[in-house]
Amino acid sequence: MTKIELTVNSAKHTREVEDRTLLVDLLRDHLGLTGTHIGCDTSQCGCCTVHVNGRAIKSCTMLAVQARGAQIVTIEGMAKDGRLHPVQQAFTDCHGLQCGFCTPGMIMAVAALLNDNPHPSDAEIYHGLEGNLCRCTGYINIIKAVKQSAGVLRNG
Amino acid sequence: MSDTHTASRREDLRLITGRGRYASDWNLPGQLHAAFLRSDRAHAEIVSVNAAPALERPGVVAVFTGADAIAAGYTRFPLMANFTNRKGASLLKPERPVLAHGKVRFVGEAVALVVAESALAAHDALDAIEIEYRELSASVHVDDALASSASQLHVDVPGNLSLEWEAGDDAAVAKAFEQAAHVTRIKIGTTRVVASPMEPRSYVVSYDAAAASYDVYTSAQGISLLREQIATLTGVPAEKLRLHLRDVGGSFGQRSGVYPEHAALMIATKKLGRPVKWVSTRSEGFLSDAHGRAIQMSGELALDHDGRFLAARYEFTCDMGAYLTPGGPSGHLRNVAKCMTGVYRTPALYGAWKVVFTNAAPISAYRGAGRPDIAYVVERLVDKAASELKIDRAELRRRNFIPLDAFPYKSPTGGVYELSDFAGCLDKALPAADWAGFERRREAARKAGKLRGIGLAVVIEGTGAGQYPQDQVALEFDAQGKLSIYTTTLSGGQGHETTFAAVVAQTLGVAPEAVTLRESVLGKEIIGNNTGGSRALVATGSVCKLAAQKLIERARPLAAEALELEPSQLEYGEGAFRSRDCEKVIGLLDLAQKHISKNPHPLNLIAEGAFGSTFPNGCHIAEVEIDPDTGVTEIVSYVAVDDCGNVINHSIVEGQVHGGVTQGAGQVFGEHAVYDRDSGQLLTGSFSDYYMPRAGLIREIHLSEHPVPSKLNVLGAKGVGESGCTASLPTLANATMDALRPLGIQDLDMPFTPSKVWHAIQAAKVK
Repeated sequence: MTKIELTVNSAKHTREVEDRTLLVDLLRDHLGLTGTHIGCDTSQCGCCTVHVNGRAIKSCTMLAVQARGAQIVTIEGMAKDGRLHPVQQAFTDCHGLQCGFCTPGMIMAVAALLNDNPHPSDAEIYHGLEGNLCRCTGYINIIKAVKQSAGVLRNG
Repeated sequence: MSDTHTASRREDLRLITGRGRYASDWNLPGQLHAAFLRSDRAHAEIVSVNAAPALERPGVVAVFTGADAIAAGYTRFPLMANFTNRKGASLLKPERPVLAHGKVRFVGEAVALVVAESALAAHDALDAIEIEYRELSASVHVDDALASSASQLHVDVPGNLSLEWEAGDDAAVAKAFEQAAHVTRIKIGTTRVVASPMEPRSYVVSYDAAAASYDVYTSAQGISLLREQIATLTGVPAEKLRLHLRDVGGSFGQRSGVYPEHAALMIATKKLGRPVKWVSTRSEGFLSDAHGRAIQMSGELALDHDGRFLAARYEFTCDMGAYLTPGGPSGHLRNVAKCMTGVYRTPALYGAWKVVFTNAAPISAYRGAGRPDIAYVVERLVDKAASELKIDRAELRRRNFIPLDAFPYKSPTGGVYELSDFAGCLDKALPAADWAGFERRREAARKAGKLRGIGLAVVIEGTGAGQYPQDQVALEFDAQGKLSIYTTTLSGGQGHETTFAAVVAQTLGVAPEAVTLRESVLGKEIIGNNTGGSRALVATGSVCKLAAQKLIERARPLAAEALELEPSQLEYGEGAFRSRDCEKVIGLLDLAQKHISKNPHPLNLIAEGAFGSTFPNGCHIAEVEIDPDTGVTEIVSYVAVDDCGNVINHSIVEGQVHGGVTQGAGQVFGEHAVYDRDSGQLLTGSFSDYYMPRAGLIREIHLSEHPVPSKLNVLGAKGVGESGCTASLPTLANATMDALRPLGIQDLDMPFTPSKVWHAIQAAKVK
């Protein structure tokens, strides 16, 4: 067991974890942040995407101990002061979610994509979302949501 | 019903902020964790099982095996519908112990259950269980399973054949074929696919010894059917099964029935006295979730000199996997037979089915459940006939459509179609796709070194009639005077909280926010169907409307009393009762508020209705471009004209079509659960190997509605959950074949992977 400290959604946490504990299990099982989902076991689906020090990371592919000292943001930390993040707002505005299981990971991936590239082309959006699977929407309204939120973030 | 076009659904806020509650989010105090040891053999006798070494592993509490399943008697799975052929034979339904006993019959079948203090400890202990197998030859393909040399999967199923079934008039078809000017033949099939909703299966089960009842926390497609099926499998009375269902991460039919794991966990929690939680990994999901489709089909179409259809004959060889799932045969037999005539007036029709066991994961419903399969063969057959007879594909269809004056149309194999305007859908779709200008685009593509094709399909499907004869909906006011709707359905992304609340709110004339939908809530004594077969809005949504109308009438005497008038003196509108002169007014919700101290609230009610199958239909047109150097097919444009009857929420309908079309595209261009034909190992057991549609596969869908309101339910709705998938399978395949046909390629089948298409192009060049 290893003791780690980390900051999740602006709150500091200290936990004892097994060396093999995955970051996603720390978030879900130890911290109760069940908005981050597990959709596969091969790092393909992206349901578990969170931000670690400002970058989108698949939290099933990172050990909890590797996140020692890190600043982590999960879906629960995206809305601020009672206001949705523009990417969250765009997903509901554009009907970019149906069952909602992939949605937290999608939102975290899109927010990071737009942070890196505020003016993505269609091809860059498709490439940026290659690691996030959705079974419900056919992605068409997700792409609309990416474009809407890109505009809001650039102007805001 | 007026439109409530809204981009924002009632369920969205919790789902976009991480506050949804899916099955694996449930945790109970003191819970143990389960992991299943799964067979790594496709077909073998179990010579011995030694679980003792696993019990030595840290944290392991118990191991359960097939002997425990036999002792509990958990071997007989329910069947939603049996089928009997003309000789009086019914489906042979072998037993399926919830943990394999004596034999394993597919790779991934649960053999043992380890329960431990943590999920990691349970998984760690799996490899300590010692199992000795005696291998048998495996048949993962129906042709192999039906061969005389095949090993028999089940002792009570000779030749691995569960049933031979037929529909239609064989003699009439034979006679028509003798008189035909032309006969077109095709042999194709729908690939075996894995539904793969993004949420893996997960169950937490606990046992209350004092009450002899079980609590099951999971995701499903509705409370009634799953509870009944668990009861049938386990013999535990339904009232002793307490199902806790909340958010569902996609279903697509895969969650419609009971699974062995439900019952295996019941054995464990009863024995151990603590809750037991199991969360499927995706890898074991690929092995053990019900798969879908997998029908080998041959079709023959007889035409006269004018291209009029005289008769059609089909053969369906249905790969059911190793066991029958509760809903599998209904999709493959009933749904296929119901719409076997497609959208055409074909006077004589005959189909013959073989229902076959193979050493593969059991097959169940998957979005469409037989409807996309029959649409696929019918529409590909018509396209091939048009090509052979050199008649325009749209014209050949138009010549044979069931005309408007022939409805209600009784199909020769069962379905009674309600009014549908196939020509109207086609007429809208052709200009939207610029069908007339296609040859210019084909030529431009040819100059750029690409193969361009356009394809269309006109399809119809019968939505689910329902497992229960009627649907009930309860309306209740709570202690704060808030109105809740209770149903037995469960949304897996279809947005019921938005649409059902809209139906009730519009009928009552109140704001949608005043009404909240609560689906599949434990303890609500209502009966009704689950979500599936595109029927939730059609049937349960209709009863929501009836319930709201009943509420107005239930409230009328109370309103009269409050206003000191006779009930007959009151008019109702915009959420309030008024005297004729409008001098006296009381709002329905204010009236409800006046009575909240009464228990039960005098306005609480249950409404019911029986609404059966409807017939959504439409015309889809796709254009594709193939790079002959790579075999990669790009979907260039997609037009969908759908008649799903009256629409309650256009955004949600569009979303359903987007998702359905894309799932069909996934199957057409890549999805395929592939088993090695010799070893029976699943070769596509993860998202690394199994093709999943990704962003950009379809960039845009030009959607139009062509509503012909249904007269079979009070909403005039026809359902939309599956129609996108049903139409896109033949549409995209026909477009791809149109691109390839100029090379002389006639009979390529899905999945049109780059490798398969490239090889076909190379082979055609050699010719």
